[in-house]
Amino acid sequence: MRKLLAVGAAVVAVGLVGACSVEEAPSPGQGGGQGQQEISFLTFETPNLTPEVWDAAIKRVTDKHPEIKVNKLVAPTQDRTAYAKQLLASNQLPDVLVAVSPAGFAESGALYEWKQEELGEFLYPRNGAIGGKVYQLPANTQTIPVVYYNKKLFQQAGVTAPPKTYAELLDVAAKLKAAGITPFVIGGGKTTHDALGPTFAGILATEVYAKNPKWMADRRQGKVKFTDPEFTRAAQKLADLSAKGYIDKGMLSQDYAATQNAFLTGKGAMYAMGNWFAAAADDPKTKPDFEIGQFFWPSDDGKQVVSAFTGGGLLVNAKAKNLEAAKKFALAYQLDKTNLDTSCKADGLIPAIKNYSPPSDVGPVYREGFDMLRQAEAANAVVPAFGFEAGDDGMLVGVPEKWDAGMADLVTGQKSPTDVAAFLDTEWEKAS
Amino acid sequence: MGEGVLTAQITRRPQTGAPGSGPPRPRRRRASAWPRLWAFLTFGAPGLLVYICFVLAPILVSVGYSLTNYNPFRPPTRYVGLRNYRLLFEDPEFLNALRVTTILTVIVVVVPNVLGLAIALLLDRRGWLYNALRSVFFVPVVLSSVVVSIIWTRMMADDGVINQALRGLGVDRPPGWLSDPDLAVYSLGVILSWQTLGFCVVVYLAGLQGVPRELIEAAAIDGAGPWQRFRKVTWPLLAPALTINTVVQLISAFKVFDHIQVITNGGPGEGTTASIAFTVLQVGFTANRQGYASAMAIVMLVIIAAASAVTLKLLQRREVDL
Repeated sequence: MRKLLAVGAAVVAVGLVGACSVEEAPSPGQGGGQGQQEISFLTFETPNLTPEVWDAAIKRVTDKHPEIKVNKLVAPTQDRTAYAKQLLASNQLPDVLVAVSPAGFAESGALYEWKQEELGEFLYPRNGAIGGKVYQLPANTQTIPVVYYNKKLFQQAGVTAPPKTYAELLDVAAKLKAAGITPFVIGGGKTTHDALGPTFAGILATEVYAKNPKWMADRRQGKVKFTDPEFTRAAQKLADLSAKGYIDKGMLSQDYAATQNAFLTGKGAMYAMGNWFAAAADDPKTKPDFEIGQFFWPSDDGKQVVSAFTGGGLLVNAKAKNLEAAKKFALAYQLDKTNLDTSCKADGLIPAIKNYSPPSDVGPVYREGFDMLRQAEAANAVVPAFGFEAGDDGMLVGVPEKWDAGMADLVTGQKSPTDVAAFLDTEWEKAS
Repeated sequence: MGEGVLTAQITRRPQTGAPGSGPPRPRRRRASAWPRLWAFLTFGAPGLLVYICFVLAPILVSVGYSLTNYNPFRPPTRYVGLRNYRLLFEDPEFLNALRVTTILTVIVVVVPNVLGLAIALLLDRRGWLYNALRSVFFVPVVLSSVVVSIIWTRMMADDGVINQALRGLGVDRPPGWLSDPDLAVYSLGVILSWQTLGFCVVVYLAGLQGVPRELIEAAAIDGAGPWQRFRKVTWPLLAPALTINTVVQLISAFKVFDHIQVITNGGPGEGTTASIAFTVLQVGFTANRQGYASAMAIVMLVIIAAASAVTLKLLQRREVDL
């Protein structure tokens, strides 16, 4: 009996001690039979980026590179950056990650630094650099925001043309409201950054970046502050849109998917959103029964200002067991023509790849947005997208979340524009 | 093993007799303490190891982190003593989280207890209908908090069923249950109360079924009305159920995180619904200040432990034995 108990106790003790010991996460690189090199790939899902889209995209690359085996991981929420941080903290950072903000990861040495010769195919190979080094493939450009509008509702309110100045925008909003139509569709909750952020980014582009495209770099150097007049004026504009009833603050309770659906089902006339919305607008499954028009957020004097971000591509874990396979996969994934075409259709992205042109069968909303961006680039009217920048051009780690909260406070009227600006300066100091 | 314990007990017995009484007994070999120790180790060690590895060690590690400026993205890590704790009590973000957690705790302790008792009194009858109703009230308890959060987010949205019903009743501008910064925390309290109500009902029902019928009948014969019977007989005997419900609700309310994460993400705006647990995660994994977040977690642990101990002590005084 004693012997039996002793053996039992020993087994339990060994098992528990084993469970408690800190062991490096088993690297997938060791698996994969028949000479295959295994890598893990962190993705995320949205209404546009379904599991089928990811699986097909991965398969296209592994069909070309059968020596690579990919284990797909899916972030539990759209906040894949927070999830990646948790994985890093537990020593399980995946080998390849997509659209994760590199800030923090790069500085800690967790990410592979791409060499310029590896980035020869990219249009803006230095975009999103951190300390002058590129960690995230600058794969696509996103216009944030484009103001999409419901032509049917505009017509109902007697609006015949999209606004060209900010005063005209207010006039349009007033006419819509008078006709009982909600002028702007917004969202909030967990998805405030994506569902409300583009609206504020549009205002900030015309008020802040149009005057100083290096504003964020200057903020990093302490040359400007959020409490400066440019930022507070922009904040005041957002607060005024809400105070005048052009933004329905009740919509802050709806998430990103519900916000998109609200516009697509005619619950509001205008929707300031990233150009990725084109994917849903053109998709036969979600395409609305009205025609969608689009314009860029207008400035006071009517001068065109287009806020856009180039980056958002794949990143590679510097400590990946199969680093070469991870790099090969990331580049092949990013440059695969079919993947790029799919990203245009499924996610409305505009690939920032040399000599790339979208397929002829993209939808009309995407095509119009693509042409508008190219025209803006030709007119040198493109500025960074406030709140969506990355790397040296972006906010410090932890501040974007406060920017999100500040936006919501402006819309609800909980804080004044100067209070929000002061709050952001305080949070900036904490983060620096 | 059993033999050893028994031997130890048997050998102690003669020593209790008066010295010198009776004839001297043959001296027996003194039993070793090893068998008992061995028994203790064999049965106690697994549980103890689990406790040490998964409860005590993480707490100690967190205490260690809380004394540093640990930020995985900004090495090196330095020892900062009690600086994190000092900063905590001047930090508006933490103080606000404490306020939000207190509001949620008060709602989640009071509402399900009051409603749970009322419903338990109504359901304390025999019959298939009452059995079915008990199950109905318990369903939310077994639902995933994420599922509950998604359902309520849809219901409380601006165009959700609640506001549509209010509009149908003629309310022109129904409240923004989750979008109004002044209302959102109370809306969360309602959701949490709804989900935990079934637990309180079941505990009170169990308590009610332990109240002897003869006591109630005796009180009735003595002329006590329904209210007096409840107040003087039933309520005092329900004290253990109240203790359980209060302490469990208190602890779960202090720890609330998932509903906030799914429904409001701490907003609308800056921290209007951010509980301490939510703030710990934000500070630790968004701002990457994991040393500071560990200090928050330790303070939270101390608050929960102290509040639970005090509540337990106070409520146990009310308990009566039959």
